[in-house]
Amino acid sequence: MVILVIICYISLAIYEFVPLYNKKQWKDFWVNIAFWSASFTIGILLALNVKMPSPVSPIKEVITSLFGR
Amino acid sequence: MYKEQINDKEGICLLTLFVMGSSLIIGVGSSVKNDAWIAAIIGLLMFLPVMLIYSRIQALLPGKNLFDIVNIAFGRIIGKIITLLYIWYAFHLGALVIRNFGEFVNTVSMPETPMIVTLLFLGTVCVYAVRMGLEVMGRISTYFIPIVILIPVVVYILAIPQFNLCNLKPILSEGFTPVLEAGFSVFAFPFAESFIFLGVFFSLKTKKSPYKVYFTGVMMAGIVLVFLTIRNIGILGNLLGHLNFPSHNAVSRVSVSEFLQRIEVSVAFVFVVCAFTKVSVCLYVACKGISKLFNLNDYRSIVIQVGLLMIFFSYIIYQNIMEMTYWANNVYKYYAFPFQVVFPVIIWLVIEIKVKKGRKGNKRI
Repeated sequence: MVILVIICYISLAIYEFVPLYNKKQWKDFWVNIAFWSASFTIGILLALNVKMPSPVSPIKEVITSLFGR
Repeated sequence: MYKEQINDKEGICLLTLFVMGSSLIIGVGSSVKNDAWIAAIIGLLMFLPVMLIYSRIQALLPGKNLFDIVNIAFGRIIGKIITLLYIWYAFHLGALVIRNFGEFVNTVSMPETPMIVTLLFLGTVCVYAVRMGLEVMGRISTYFIPIVILIPVVVYILAIPQFNLCNLKPILSEGFTPVLEAGFSVFAFPFAESFIFLGVFFSLKTKKSPYKVYFTGVMMAGIVLVFLTIRNIGILGNLLGHLNFPSHNAVSRVSVSEFLQRIEVSVAFVFVVCAFTKVSVCLYVACKGISKLFNLNDYRSIVIQVGLLMIFFSYIIYQNIMEMTYWANNVYKYYAFPFQVVFPVIIWLVIEIKVKKGRKGNKRI
């Protein structure tokens, strides 16, 4: 599964980064790399069955404490 | 850069499908059981003044999208902070809808398939649609809207024999306050979510269009939702509050002379179309916001990565369906209130003052 994720992300990188690099659109290029890295990391963690905390839980805690629901 | 434009009809269709979105399958106001239809009407009525504010914002600054408007209203620094908040809202909303779809498919048809597969499939289609652009999304919605309206109408007619109008009674048995609260819930989900359409309606052709498009789109979706809620109550009665997907359950009971049965797949089809439109619009607005925040050349370059993040986010957002239902019924309305009412009202007031001052000084904003 991890290998599949790595292959998919390498293909995505080639598909996305090469045209941006050739056109010299540096802002798009670097923002894309940042998102790619974040997405790749989460993808690998999910493939390794790592349990990730939900970002929604703190929001729920705050609202529950404020409105008592 | 090429400026995307949609006509009023495409705008109305997009908005109608967006509002029908996941509320069609999760149902609205189910906490008040057989008064849910009153809650739906109250939610729609509550939304009307807010809708005028949304339309006014767009009419004051035609051709500007939500993120341009925020920057004009608050300047660069505060503008960027609010832009970031709305990117989060659009991203989060898209993830919630993908998750609703995943839970629905997992519960009713494919319990043994890992949910990530379902989420990836819907997400990929949405990424493709957003990469194609707003005009394509608008055209797709005009093709789908007759089917999406026709299916509930036909199913409604077929469901008449199962209909028990006594299920609607007693009306307001627990008083008006719980219904009003459920009405507020309906206001927040799905009607006021349409604020993020300010990230789409900059592409409308004429200045008067936002009023017409907002009103027609929301009214169409609102009427469909009210009628579907009445149908669900008529068939399910007080069971309504205990089911995760009331529309699916209601339609699964329809049987015409034991000849026409199992027509709930039609509901699933309508849900797929509406969820696809809603997720696509959310992804589009989130990508537009990010491209504005970083001054990118084209939002299309980040659609795949943002789409993948949205899918992963939707996967980790809830542990189970109970948590999803709790969030939708109890938490979401309070969480969304600043995005749907507080910020829009402030933005409207600031823009109104700035435009008036600009007119006096003959300045263009």
